[in-house]
Amino acid sequence: MALMRKRTLAALALGASALLVAGCAPGQVEDDSPQEVQTANPEDFAGKTLTYMYFTDGPDEEATRQLIGEFEEKYDVTVDLEILPYADLVTSTLNRLSGGNAPDVARLTSLTDFRDDLLVLDPYLGDSYSAEFLPGPLQAVKNADDDMIAVPSDLTMNGPFVNAELFEKAGVEIPEKWTWDEMLAAAEEVKEKTGTPYAFAMDKSGHRLSTILSQYGTYMLNADGNALDIDKAEQALQPLVDLMADDDMPADFWLGSGSRYAGANEIFLAGETPIYLSGNWQVAQFSKDATFDWAVAPNPCAAQCGGFPGGKFMAAFKQSENPALAAEFIRFMNDAESQETFVTTAGALPTRADLSESGVDYGDETTQAAMDVFLADLLLTPEEGFAANAHPAFSPAATELVDALSVVVAGQADLRTALTSLSEKIDALVAELSS
Amino acid sequence: MTTTTITTARPPLTRWTGGGWGMKLAPYLFLIPNMVIFAMFTIYPALNGFNMSLYESNNGRTFRWVGLDNYRKILTDAEFWDVVRNTVIYAVAFVVLGTLVALATAALVNAQRRGKTFFRAVFFIPVLVSPVVVGLIWNWMLERQNGLVNTALGWFGIPAVPWLVDDTWAMVAIILVGIWMQMGFYMLILLAGLQAIDPALYEAARMDGANWWQQFRVITVPLLQPSIVVVVVLATIHGFQSFDFIWTLTGGGPVGATTLMVQYIYENGFQSPIRYGIATAGGVLLFLTVFTLTLVNWLISRRREAV
Repeated sequence: MALMRKRTLAALALGASALLVAGCAPGQVEDDSPQEVQTANPEDFAGKTLTYMYFTDGPDEEATRQLIGEFEEKYDVTVDLEILPYADLVTSTLNRLSGGNAPDVARLTSLTDFRDDLLVLDPYLGDSYSAEFLPGPLQAVKNADDDMIAVPSDLTMNGPFVNAELFEKAGVEIPEKWTWDEMLAAAEEVKEKTGTPYAFAMDKSGHRLSTILSQYGTYMLNADGNALDIDKAEQALQPLVDLMADDDMPADFWLGSGSRYAGANEIFLAGETPIYLSGNWQVAQFSKDATFDWAVAPNPCAAQCGGFPGGKFMAAFKQSENPALAAEFIRFMNDAESQETFVTTAGALPTRADLSESGVDYGDETTQAAMDVFLADLLLTPEEGFAANAHPAFSPAATELVDALSVVVAGQADLRTALTSLSEKIDALVAELSS
Repeated sequence: MTTTTITTARPPLTRWTGGGWGMKLAPYLFLIPNMVIFAMFTIYPALNGFNMSLYESNNGRTFRWVGLDNYRKILTDAEFWDVVRNTVIYAVAFVVLGTLVALATAALVNAQRRGKTFFRAVFFIPVLVSPVVVGLIWNWMLERQNGLVNTALGWFGIPAVPWLVDDTWAMVAIILVGIWMQMGFYMLILLAGLQAIDPALYEAARMDGANWWQQFRVITVPLLQPSIVVVVVLATIHGFQSFDFIWTLTGGGPVGATTLMVQYIYENGFQSPIRYGIATAGGVLLFLTVFTLTLVNWLISRRREAV
């Protein structure tokens, strides 16, 4: 009896604790009231400390450290550079925001998960500041009120790399302009003549697949939401399905990594494919590691030309104790001189209108030749590509796009069915992320 | 000659008699530091997980009350039921095969006259390897064209197996790798149980003419039952919670064929669009499943013990 009473008491105590916890919201309940923007006098910066959360692609770190040194000297402040793995970027930032310990400034690849937490920069940098940047990348950094909540710090462009040695060996010319059909025909000819295992490889990425959709004249998203044209998407992706069915493109690579991103750079570096669709961030690695002559070819055209854009952003958080200093740091890191230092070291493309117009000197011949091709493609890239990439639903929709193609490659559905299902999922994502 | 006798009698042992309350309180005082940590980092997050499953949040700071809507969404999501099917297939195969393999290995190691420690160490090594590394190593070994396993199979004229790119084979791959990774731990538990069985029982059985199988069935299995229950409970928990090595081995693919419950929770909680409510509701469902199965296991074993 006594034991029974003890157990009942213990159960009641546990239940009471659970109710106590359950009775409270697990965090702050949503509050839509506007937050006041703090301002500060730049002369007050001296002696202050700023945290900059950063991930590195490799060569950019050196340039970032150099620029931080210059900023510290100019303003008599300390910048704590906190470098973390790219894979931890979103989780770590969200955790720090939850703990009220957000960094002052962060380097981000997508603003989707942080839009409500980012500092509006216009009061610090001025309304005309945004005009210093290319209109395309700017689309991603504006909120619903057309305020600037981040600065596009560097730009990426997708495009095909070619193994120039294999092309030469096969006696196939690399043209200055080609269509998808011409590119794939050239790839298969090189494969046949040189005996490579594959004709074509690309990263397993919805962002890279979006390049092909763009070239065939469709996008997953636009400002109004779902923009996928299933007929055009089918035209765009059918060649990939055929390539994988014929073993001209590594199907195992596509299926073997589940829902994880996978880069095909090792397949290209191993000389197993004459053409590899990726982006300009590979230039620095290929310059260092490739044991053969390679080049960047222009993006193939179908309904339209150009590539598909991406990029990184610098943003400050509302939680920052020094918002004016954070905004000033972002301005400094993205003025013409700093951005030129950064993009030339990192092998990135500039986002500033003045640098894009004047061109950038990358130092060595191979990098310069490669980046000139990407820059030329940037000018041919339709504005819709920037709008699609800037949409809050782009990142999850890109994951769904990869899944849709994987279902087809695995033989579980035909392409049209998979694309119809993809379109429904895009609708759901747009509805979820717009609510 | 005079003799001096020195008395070295030890003073009598005294028991601390700090009162009845002191004796009763002391164990709890010793437990407090551990319990505080346990409460802060296990009990509170677990209870808050239940609570959070009733809200929706995409940032972990602002929450919107949705009641049981997260559960409704999960239970009407076709992908969730695919994940449940995969998880049940994996967990059942992992528990049954894992226990059988561990039992057989423990019996074999126990039967060795020499080298028991060596074999015990060899089978235990995979337990010490990080699951992420296990996944990466086996991803490389099971690769269809150049993987070590298919190369070895090729020596015997066996065609390449699509381990990581075919639905069924990928499930087989994660089950086998999961068992390989945990088997040494279960084997140690069963080996300890085997070594506790009185050899005289086997001797008597042999004298009565019992063969190996009869000894195993009538002596080993019943006396090993408490250890087997522990292994089955632990394997059930491990089976339902498997994620890390699968993530690096197959990524849950091909096309979701090896996506289990924890990956479903992870993807909702940490991949865009972030859905903390759905993720925690999935966590609650997983907890309830594992808790129920463990309870059933425990009740069955208690009933058998009573019999």
